[in-house]
Amino acid sequence: MTQRFRPPATALRRLFVGGAAIALVYVVLAPLSSTDAGQQLGLPFLTDRLWFRVATTVAMFVVLASAWNIIGGLTGYASFGNVAFFGLGAYTTGVLVSLRQWPFGLALLLAPVVPALFALVIGIPLLRLHGHYFAVASLGVGVAVGEVVNNLQPLGASTGLFLPIVRSNLLFFYLMLAAAALAVLVTWVILHTRFGYGLLAIRENEEAAAVIGVNTTFYKVAALMIAAALTGLAGGIFAQWNTFINQENVFPIEYNVEMILMAVLGGAGTLLGPVAGAVTLELVILRLAGGGAAAAYSQIGLGVLLAVTVIFLPRGVIDFFGGQSRLSLWALRRSLRETSV
Amino acid sequence: MSQLLQQLVLGLLLGGVYVSVALGFSLVWGILNIVNLAHGAFVIIGAYITWVLFSRLGVDPFLSLPVDALVLFALGYGLQRGLINRVIRAPLLFTFLLTFGINLVIVSLLLLIFSPDFRSVTPRYSGSGLSLGSVTIPYIGLARLGIAMLLALVLWFVLNRTRIGAGIQAVGADRDAAQLVGIDLRHVYALTFAIGAAFAGVAGGLIGLQQSITPTAGDPFTLQSFAVVILGGLGRVSATIAGGLLFGLIQVLGLNAPGLGAGYSNAIAFAVLVVVLAFRPQGLLGRLA
Amino acid sequence: MDMKGKLRVTLVASAMLATACGGAATTPSPSIGSTLVIGSAISLTGSQAKEGNLAKQGYDLWYDWIQAQGGITVNGVKHPVSLIYEDDQSKPDLSATLLEKLITAEHAQFILGPYGSAATATDAVIAEKDGIPMVEANGAAQAIFSKGYKYTFGVLSPANKYLTGVIDMAATLSPKPTTVAMLSANDNFSVEVAKAVVDYAPSKGMQVVFNKTYPAAAPDVSGLLSQVKPLNPDIILNSGHLAEAIAINKAAKDLNINAKIFAYSVGPSTPDFVDALGKDANFVYDGSQWTPQVKYSPQFYLSVNQYVLAYKTKYNATAAPDYHVAESTAACLALQKAMENAKSLDPAKVRDALASLDVMTFFGEIKFDSRGINVFKPMVVEQIQGGVHYTVFPPDVANGQPQYPTPAWSQR
Repeated sequence: MTQRFRPPATALRRLFVGGAAIALVYVVLAPLSSTDAGQQLGLPFLTDRLWFRVATTVAMFVVLASAWNIIGGLTGYASFGNVAFFGLGAYTTGVLVSLRQWPFGLALLLAPVVPALFALVIGIPLLRLHGHYFAVASLGVGVAVGEVVNNLQPLGASTGLFLPIVRSNLLFFYLMLAAAALAVLVTWVILHTRFGYGLLAIRENEEAAAVIGVNTTFYKVAALMIAAALTGLAGGIFAQWNTFINQENVFPIEYNVEMILMAVLGGAGTLLGPVAGAVTLELVILRLAGGGAAAAYSQIGLGVLLAVTVIFLPRGVIDFFGGQSRLSLWALRRSLRETSV
Repeated sequence: MSQLLQQLVLGLLLGGVYVSVALGFSLVWGILNIVNLAHGAFVIIGAYITWVLFSRLGVDPFLSLPVDALVLFALGYGLQRGLINRVIRAPLLFTFLLTFGINLVIVSLLLLIFSPDFRSVTPRYSGSGLSLGSVTIPYIGLARLGIAMLLALVLWFVLNRTRIGAGIQAVGADRDAAQLVGIDLRHVYALTFAIGAAFAGVAGGLIGLQQSITPTAGDPFTLQSFAVVILGGLGRVSATIAGGLLFGLIQVLGLNAPGLGAGYSNAIAFAVLVVVLAFRPQGLLGRLA
Repeated sequence: MDMKGKLRVTLVASAMLATACGGAATTPSPSIGSTLVIGSAISLTGSQAKEGNLAKQGYDLWYDWIQAQGGITVNGVKHPVSLIYEDDQSKPDLSATLLEKLITAEHAQFILGPYGSAATATDAVIAEKDGIPMVEANGAAQAIFSKGYKYTFGVLSPANKYLTGVIDMAATLSPKPTTVAMLSANDNFSVEVAKAVVDYAPSKGMQVVFNKTYPAAAPDVSGLLSQVKPLNPDIILNSGHLAEAIAINKAAKDLNINAKIFAYSVGPSTPDFVDALGKDANFVYDGSQWTPQVKYSPQFYLSVNQYVLAYKTKYNATAAPDYHVAESTAACLALQKAMENAKSLDPAKVRDALASLDVMTFFGEIKFDSRGINVFKPMVVEQIQGGVHYTVFPPDVANGQPQYPTPAWSQR
């Protein structure tokens, strides 16, 4: 291998990271151009309402996937109940703003608190379960909480809740972006502290972790609470942003499936994997959505895309870009050999 | 009293549906460690086959069940052999992703082929039932429960009394050891998945008699199978029967839970599931892995 | 602009339609203006694909007709119409994004509503935020209209009217039914339907002996019906959806429950209900927004008969269109008339014209109260008799008599 030759994956990776950095700067700054001053200056940025809607949605899923990653990817507990945290966060804001006339800012502060406390209550009994059993128990929680909310008259029951309309695209975009940054920051901190090592130890071998002195119950419950708080925060922002909330809107099990898809697709257990997964998949989903008479075909496209990705990139998108010369056909064959029969 | 008795009967009959739907799901999960998100779609394919045979050719829905089983068996074998085998050694969540994709494709294809119209299979004898005092037992429900039990018996027999079953069990217990003694893993995987799909097909054939068939009608069945399998416990036929019947009973009895509206019945069913798991992590009849 | 994923409905101009519209032209030779874009995010796939597609049929019928006319005449200028759909996959959260896409990327100037009350509520928020008039025809829950939103209008009669007509009809029958059992799905629309019945029935001398909700899209309703059986009510009402209406009818037969009246809010009016149940569909009533038998004298567009014929021609159907189709067409008519009246395409002016609209169409009177609900159009009661839908109430539009009481299952 000569000096000038660079393995394609490394080059690709640099390209990817550089591109992502530029894209991030654009995403953070571009919306400012949509303010009146920016419009008058004629800045060449297309940041219309659709752009905001999509960008805010993507940021929201970055929060959800990153939060899921803390309990699912780092700790190894595949939660199907995170959507309950989202819904509880949304309803916390919703009820306080819509029925108690709290200012949104104040109500939002409680949006992470309620789901975190709920996570504490269910976490202690349920995190004793392992593998599939935890997955299904958390699914049960996810379904049950949504159904209960849909029946509770004081929470608007099936009529749902309407919040006062807030007409600001910038506000919700930056709020959601801040939540996404917070989720990534929290993950980074966890990965670089004793706490994170404890979680990874639990994921790899829980008995061994206990033996070396990790208080597994405390670690697991704390991880679930952190995930719940972040997810609830996103829910709280969503409630005010979407203005109308009901069971269908804020407790859809599909959200939970999507967060898992995103984290796993991007690379569960890594810092930026869930971010990459969320951005990629949500953009693809939104791109394929709509489609008029071709609607069914775009659904088929999404399904095929998922299947192909899983089969050819079984270690996630991040791993694909980060690995050593993974791009070669040889590597593809090897990874197939490792994962197939 | 007779009111309660009627509810119990209906709960057991509904449980029969759950048993038939969950058997295949349990087999695939227990042996292959695959949570098959396309299971509900398999059920609905079975339902559509029965509907087509019934409405176009006048074939009695119960007679079309073997056709459902055969078609789904072939489909299941092909999918496992062609696609899922490729990632079967990857972590659980990858097969989860893959089957999610397969589900999307199947549901969309069904929509293209059959349109979103609501279909239903209503043979002439539909609605007749056995009256025992004030308790009514619908014949179709009873037949469905009977077939569910028959399916369970067949599955038990295949797993415990045949060579194929021995191979499947061996693979479920220890893949590498099974390979060492000369079992063709690819074939056994595909066979297991195919049997699971075939059972889903038969369950689907029974579904159209009770509810409407639409391309998306299968999704709830995946969720319910999840619950049934865990409620009973993974890896045993008897556990799936117990889980299915219990889940049916809970749903029907939950409709008139004292102090709560009937709207809570889903919430109750899943709350019971959570509580059972918290106290008996292996399910009611399951063995701890 | 990116044109992919965009659906432009093909222009189909049948000779029949062309003649039907002869009287509607206003100015002799208006000039041709810019193409007017109307968007709708509607359920073409997912759990509500059936109903969403019915709504789309209604929109498309009007679209064909208006294109055959050459467009909408606004202030002497004819504007051809482009009608763009996005599929919300029956997910309300996606509906919001797609509506924003329609408004921003596809430059939709006006919005036709989605299917379902939850999606309609979500879309109403977007319409309000963006100041784009939305006329909807498939979200009857009144909660949407109680928030003072100015840009959303519903052409259909609100949820509370769906089954009260059945109660009115029942009061005229002999022997008069006196007890009512109400089963409703737990969603915003169905709960409003049920509440109205529970409030109204006593004033007609009927007692509500059973009133329970079940989870929407419940897999099995026989457990609930078995609770109804010992009460032996004269009337069994369901407010829910097509799937549940079919399931309830099957379960009633299974359990041999014999009420004098079975009436369901949504379902029996669709051909699917009769196809699915065959003979068992007979005698079932439903509260309907519209039937092919209504006798209105429309001020523009097609007469009721012409409308039914146009539907059968376009979709090669033997059955007449059900009310989901008709109400969706009516939404288009309201929008069209408002633009004509406003003599402008300015969203705020069209909104004001909608607010003051009062026009008679094949669908009935379209006029909105201060909330944006069309409370002025009555609903009718249909009954399936021998596999055919007959309008049986109110008597002035009826083309059949109620077959009453419903015979016991054993005697059919």
